[in-house]
Amino acid sequence: MRSQFDWLIYLFFALGLLVTGAFIVVPAVHALWLSLHQANSFIAAPRWVGFENYARILADPAFWHAMGNGLIYAGTSIVLQVVLGIAFALVLNEHFPGRRLARGFVVLPYLLPTVVVALTFQWMMDGSVGILTVLAREVGLGTIPWFEDPVAAMASTIAMSVWLWTPFVTVCVLAGLQSIPQSLYDAAKVDGAGAWNRFRHVTLPQLAPVLTVVVLLRGIWMFNKFDIIWLMTKGGPLGATEHLPILAYKRAFSLFDVGGGAAVASISFLLLSVLVLIYFRLFPLEDRR
Amino acid sequence: MSQTVTDVHADTHEDRRSAGLSRRARQGLRRTGLGFAALAIVAYSAFPIYWMVISSLRDPNKLFQVPTLAPGPFSLESYEVLLTLTDYPTQFRNSILVASAVVVITIVCSTMIAYALTRLRIPFKTLIVMTMLYVYMLPPLLLAIPLYGIFVWLGISDSLLALAIAHCTLTLPLGVWLLWGYFKAMPFDLEEAAMVDGCSRLGAFLRVVLPLSLPGVVTVAVFSFLLSWTDYAYALVLVSSDAQKTLPVGLASMIGAFDMRWGEAMAGATLIALPLFVMFTFLSRYFIQGLSAGAVKG
Repeated sequence: MRSQFDWLIYLFFALGLLVTGAFIVVPAVHALWLSLHQANSFIAAPRWVGFENYARILADPAFWHAMGNGLIYAGTSIVLQVVLGIAFALVLNEHFPGRRLARGFVVLPYLLPTVVVALTFQWMMDGSVGILTVLAREVGLGTIPWFEDPVAAMASTIAMSVWLWTPFVTVCVLAGLQSIPQSLYDAAKVDGAGAWNRFRHVTLPQLAPVLTVVVLLRGIWMFNKFDIIWLMTKGGPLGATEHLPILAYKRAFSLFDVGGGAAVASISFLLLSVLVLIYFRLFPLEDRR
Repeated sequence: MSQTVTDVHADTHEDRRSAGLSRRARQGLRRTGLGFAALAIVAYSAFPIYWMVISSLRDPNKLFQVPTLAPGPFSLESYEVLLTLTDYPTQFRNSILVASAVVVITIVCSTMIAYALTRLRIPFKTLIVMTMLYVYMLPPLLLAIPLYGIFVWLGISDSLLALAIAHCTLTLPLGVWLLWGYFKAMPFDLEEAAMVDGCSRLGAFLRVVLPLSLPGVVTVAVFSFLLSWTDYAYALVLVSSDAQKTLPVGLASMIGAFDMRWGEAMAGATLIALPLFVMFTFLSRYFIQGLSAGAVKG
């Protein structure tokens, strides 16, 4: 069955693995290697310092502050995304005219590049003529300092993130809802279960596997979100929205502490790996699809 | 048989009538509530997009007065300025170049890798798939910092080539992962039949496996384009000269400028989003499929 062309398959296989290996595995290892060195820039010769970078980073209050911010940001936005996503999916799962169109609209935010979202929200939250600022003023909330006040900046960033990433939850939950057999609901109805009880005892348990995947994946990604926070606040004001990825970037690129930046990145890499391992453990590769 | 069916039908109909108006009223109430909920959800999801588009089409001189929710006065001035007086066209070209290269490389390599992983004798198959999925979950910034060092060392830093390679580190694992599922689910008998009939392995792959897994391949193409087109983190770290900037970085550099020209910014944002919306309209099936498989990292 062999022919002269079969080597093409092997060639592209090898090529693809090479690209993946060279530009993913090598950088990951390189990051770990850099974290054990001291370097002032990417061109300067790195000097071996062992775990000094880690000791320095872990003793720095800024690190723990960033860690706390990351947990607040990721935790709050995941909870809100999941709650909103389930609510949206429940509505969109019902029959009403224009349902297809509504489902389409709900996905749109997720397709937008983060830059577009960041720019649009900055425009809407402009201090004098932003539409949200004006509307808030008109309903009597006064002028809201969206990004000037530490607490408000964190809340605004979370609200934007929720708007942007809820569609992922909606789409997944909607798919989950469609796979729940109608007979379960009929049986619950016969047993006299009201709408809330049907949701509580049929829908939620049936959605549990989907929700586990969703929460894990969102956890993995939200904890390491960089672009939206960088674009909106650059970690400010006064470090109120600075989390680990921002800290790593600032150390490596503006404080000329490449080793320290790599150490921060490596620490979040290790934390992330724990989540990924849990994911692999709960959903073994062989069972998929 | 048909008799019983009509009987049952008549029964329930009777039931409903006997339950009286209150039930119908409740149904109506539920309908209205549902309608309002759906409207609220659509408004929430679409309002920022609506605002972006109408701001880009508004007369720039009117942008700095107290805004009205309705569109107008209509003007294309922001677009004209953006396309004639800024680097936007160059950035658009850069983005298209990088995204097309990424799509082609991803399709060719990921179909071959996924095929090899499901059909050929290769050691450490599971390990390779696991690694692919694992690295796909890594946040871009984590790899961007060391990648920058590697590109400096290779002498290709600050180039579109470096950016395309970097984007492939996002899209290849995704492609392999999605197509691996596709190829695995496809029965071997079909290609075996083709090979017995004298097809080479490559022939069987091109004529049997690929056409049958076209939906998967389209999904990978769509998301490779999406990931590359929207990427900000890699482009921020890897590209610094103006001539090599892609759209997201170019647009982001408007933020915080001394005199922020919001009309142009919104026109630029609309033009980045437009190809995505058009693709979504025509390929929404693939989008939804990919989304629930976790194809957008984010």
